Amino acid sequence: MNYKLAAMSAMLVLCVAGVPVLAHHSVAAQFDLNKPITLTGKVAKVEWINPHSYLWLDVSDDSGNVKHWALEMAGPGALRKAGLSRADRGGLKAGDTVTVNAVRAKDGTDSALMKDVKVPDGRVFTIWTNDPNAQ
Amino acid sequence: MWNGGPARGLVINKEDPFGAYLAARDGSLVNFERDNTIIRRMDPNRPFYKPEFWEKVQKGDQNGNTEDPSYGCMPGGVPRMGPPAKIVQTATELLFFYVSPPAQGWGDQYRIIPIDGRDHTPLDQLDGTWKGESIGHWEGDTMVIDTIGFNDTSWLDIGGYFHSENMHVIERMRREGNTLTWQATVEDPDVLIKPWVTNPRVLRLNSDPKAMLEESLPCVERDLSHLVNREHH
Repeated sequence: MNYKLAAMSAMLVLCVAGVPVLAHHSVAAQFDLNKPITLTGKVAKVEWINPHSYLWLDVSDDSGNVKHWALEMAGPGALRKAGLSRADRGGLKAGDTVTVNAVRAKDGTDSALMKDVKVPDGRVFTIWTNDPNAQ
Repeated sequence: MWNGGPARGLVINKEDPFGAYLAARDGSLVNFERDNTIIRRMDPNRPFYKPEFWEKVQKGDQNGNTEDPSYGCMPGGVPRMGPPAKIVQTATELLFFYVSPPAQGWGDQYRIIPIDGRDHTPLDQLDGTWKGESIGHWEGDTMVIDTIGFNDTSWLDIGGYFHSENMHVIERMRREGNTLTWQATVEDPDVLIKPWVTNPRVLRLNSDPKAMLEESLPCVERDLSHLVNREHH
């Protein structure tokens, strides 16, 4: 028997060098990096999904009107590594008040690309995706 | 595994011809995407289509945000999904496991590849699928995986590179020490002038004996309705 790919039935984990051959729309197709916005509101929902996780934020204005903002974040893997996925360990949790720096969507809707998020205990997580200089 | 980019400057992974990424010019996320897309598109190795399909390829490329199936959470399919992240081999089968990202497709993907010497099911009896019907055999130290029975929905790569249901893919994998080299040949005489041979991909064995594959979370596309132009990467 020829077991040249895998040693017996032992499992091999191969480290992929990093080739995002999958493609996606560009940030420039959706968001305007020259339109920064800072939002403080209550977390309504967090969606741990690919290709981008989403944070839904209820933001009240001075008149008490509430807007439901959709904030695009990085993929869920990166956020899990950053410690944001488990609410019971200090991650994002519905009902928490957080402050978000983001850039607005070009289509004028209440949606934005999150740059960083400040959670209630004061920690700030930088979310900017795929930008090596932002580390 | 891919963790989001190198530290700074041009970093080239000599083992992987795709593994070159620029740091963000001016710290700009937009420039980062544009620069790396240009690098990716400079690769001269691309499938050659018959002239009657040039317009279709070009339209697909220009409208990739809506036409590329990978944008809408569809699988990558063979060969776009590339080499597996994990291999289990038995006497009669190879089991391939993929993760996303960085594997080319969303969700936890797997393939079961018989290596027991059987023949393919006749093409007219196969449903066209994303991964087709794969059968492997050894040629010396090289595992050759022959796949037919595709749908015509998946793409070979960005660029509008579609294929027909009659596509035939031959993957070759060879392990030397702790490196594994993967390369695929795409035969599709219905649409291609000549077979297309992908660039080789070289994988390194993960040195952590306890390494596990991460679960891939569901893919839900929420962005397409907000796009204001056709720029993509």
